[in-house]
Amino acid sequence: MKEVVVHPERCVGCMQCMAACASAHSRSKNLFLASLETPRPRARVHVGVGLYNEGFPNRCRHCDPAPCLLACLPGAISRNAEKNTVFIDPNRCINCASCAMACPFGVIRYHEDFTAPPGKTVAVKCDNCYERQLAGLIPACVEVCKSGALSFEEKADAMKRKTDEVARTVSAGVAQVDLAPGFTLLNAIKRQQIELAR
Amino acid sequence: MNDKYSSSTITEDGRLLLKKMEREGVESVWDRFQAQLPNCGYCEMGLSCRICVMGPCRIDPFGEGPQRGVCGADADIMVARNLGRMIAAGAASHSDHGRDLVEVLGKVAVNEAPGYQLRDVEKLKRVAAEFGITADGKKPNQIAAELSDAMAEEYGTRKKELTLVKRAPAKRQEIWRKLGVAPRGIDRETSEMMHRTHMGVDNDWKSLLLHGIRNSLSDGWGGSMIATEVSDILFGTPKPGVTKVNAGVLKKDQVNIIVHGHNPVVSEMLLHACQDPDLLKMAKDKGANGINLAGVCCTGNELLMRAGIPMAGNHLTTELVLATGAVDMMVVDYQCIMPSLGTVAACYHTKMVSTSDKARFPGMEHQEFHPENAAAKAKTLVKDAIANFDRRGEVFIPVESVECMGGFSVEAIVGALGGTPKPLIDAIAAGKIRGAVGIVGCNNPRIKQDYGHVTLTQRLIENDILVVDTGCASVATAKAGFKQSKALEKAGPGLKEVCGALGVPPVLHVGSCVDNVRILVLASALANALGVDISDLPIAGAAPEWYSEKAATIGVYFVASGVYTVLGPMPPITGSMNIVKLLTEGLNDAVGATFAVEADPEKAAVLIRTHIEGKRKKLGLPHMQV
Repeated sequence: MKEVVVHPERCVGCMQCMAACASAHSRSKNLFLASLETPRPRARVHVGVGLYNEGFPNRCRHCDPAPCLLACLPGAISRNAEKNTVFIDPNRCINCASCAMACPFGVIRYHEDFTAPPGKTVAVKCDNCYERQLAGLIPACVEVCKSGALSFEEKADAMKRKTDEVARTVSAGVAQVDLAPGFTLLNAIKRQQIELAR
Repeated sequence: MNDKYSSSTITEDGRLLLKKMEREGVESVWDRFQAQLPNCGYCEMGLSCRICVMGPCRIDPFGEGPQRGVCGADADIMVARNLGRMIAAGAASHSDHGRDLVEVLGKVAVNEAPGYQLRDVEKLKRVAAEFGITADGKKPNQIAAELSDAMAEEYGTRKKELTLVKRAPAKRQEIWRKLGVAPRGIDRETSEMMHRTHMGVDNDWKSLLLHGIRNSLSDGWGGSMIATEVSDILFGTPKPGVTKVNAGVLKKDQVNIIVHGHNPVVSEMLLHACQDPDLLKMAKDKGANGINLAGVCCTGNELLMRAGIPMAGNHLTTELVLATGAVDMMVVDYQCIMPSLGTVAACYHTKMVSTSDKARFPGMEHQEFHPENAAAKAKTLVKDAIANFDRRGEVFIPVESVECMGGFSVEAIVGALGGTPKPLIDAIAAGKIRGAVGIVGCNNPRIKQDYGHVTLTQRLIENDILVVDTGCASVATAKAGFKQSKALEKAGPGLKEVCGALGVPPVLHVGSCVDNVRILVLASALANALGVDISDLPIAGAAPEWYSEKAATIGVYFVASGVYTVLGPMPPITGSMNIVKLLTEGLNDAVGATFAVEADPEKAAVLIRTHIEGKRKKLGLPHMQV
């Protein structure tokens, strides 16, 4: 089964995943029209700011066992084994915030959503683009990420790739390969600026 | 003091006012900067392209995602196109500012600009002669009319080269001609850049960058140079004078009017209106002890240079000064005026007025100034400011102002030297002064306000390097007390001796950001006196806190004129290491100078000192190991 894998070292902080996520979870599924909808669709992936102003796409890990699921008293949170996805049922959610308190990653938000009863604030988080997957599409955040910070692949493939990457860096006589020297240069300057301000 | 304020600015007035703004829930430029983080890496690297609607496109810097835009442009082309348009925008801004001054000159010539006059007729004649206009028997108005026409033609000229290119040393002009980058028309080069960067035109990144050089030269030796010269003719060539800087220049008991922007056309008329006896009486009747005109940003520099008007602050101070609650009116023209100012002003009693037909802002009253109505309009505005005086709430003026000497036009510097650059050359040759550095540019919330300017300046003057500065850099060092005779204590022994003998501070305020051309003229004068090229001189440029497109253009015309230039913030070019390499190494073969990027001003100082000593060695002057 394919899953979303995050590669933080490749995040360039463009936040396109956020816009794509909000649009994918709208009535219209169209970025422009989505921006006009009520309730306004919101992203379920959140790009955070690191110590050196670098981006990091923070999304639900769909933990197993999931602390949010265990903490949910009305039983609004469930696991879909087929897609390894933790779902929140907006009809059952009582907006008590227990799940957010239990979540170690801070990925649960509370707001209105077009799938919930009108006017009701509910817990909202990543659903691995379940609907899109049923339609044969990959998750919206992965589709829109052009720097490879988000991929949709078999976990085993991702691990193998990472293992090989690490193995290549320790091959005898091979110098460290810089995949994007320009990005490294830019980050070095930014890091210096931030350290100077501190 | 809370760390957050200290990491935003090194200035005491800035820290105190920022704290006040936060307490009062007023959003600042630093808040908005934080809200933008993380910045988009594609945009920061120059790897996003919005030029056509087959896109928008972006290129994956890691090499796995898309490597070309829809049109086929690779990273080199994309970065070059984006940089080219940045240069074009910067050149357009300063050169269009120049055009506005040429228009005023033309109106003054036919007496259609009441209140304006030809303050420096000698300079008018001198500049006119450069344009082939003879003065014999003509009245100044006639010369002004002819000069204004000749300058207007430079914008759309069909000549081979702009007239003022002749001011550069002959060797430099030859380099430009050989490279094919001598600018042909001010508007032409900007217009051609927009054309070349349209989809499917110039797709050789090197040729695009060469045109970038030509475009920047059309500003540095064209539009900007015209702006400075005409400003001198209309408002007087600056002479050294003493004034005050920082937010402490605002007066609790007076009507405070702040001018903000870049073009002296509006602010000069306000200056006259503030001295009008009727209006002064009106202010007195309102209970104010006078009318205090102060500046921020480069309009402030224009007035500081020529009339010794006090300066309240630079770019990142423009919101903060409003939080004093003491500003009765802020009058803006154009460039670098944050659209947030109207919102900040709404939290206090400040009345905001925009004046240019091409620059409007939310939350500001628009009172359009034209040469025909400027004098009358200025009086109306001052009246409105006086009327606003008693609407003030609590006033907080955080610090005492600092003394500052300004007004160092090239004419004034040469004058201080006794009419010839020779004493300066002798001091450099003897090694008392190792060299000179132009520190220019803005503030940028990426960098602790003024830290880059002040640290670099300190390191240079203590090593006997003369600093000339402009724009927001010049305000930064003025606030830090580098522009007073006391500052000689901070200078090395040689620089202290020479500046002490001349009665000037170790850091010379040469004007607003458009006045960077004064540095080009001064460098040319030194090079010509020695019979060498600008790139042979022990000089350098630096923009430690730059943010704007104008600054990018200035950087390029500095380097293209042969001045090694160190930038603080990285321009959006790292998406193409070919272009990074060309700008930081390759340009040396083409124009005898390069860029360097160094975020740490301590290290930038070492780079610059190494460069200067290297040039001294090549000139056969005493040199040392840095």
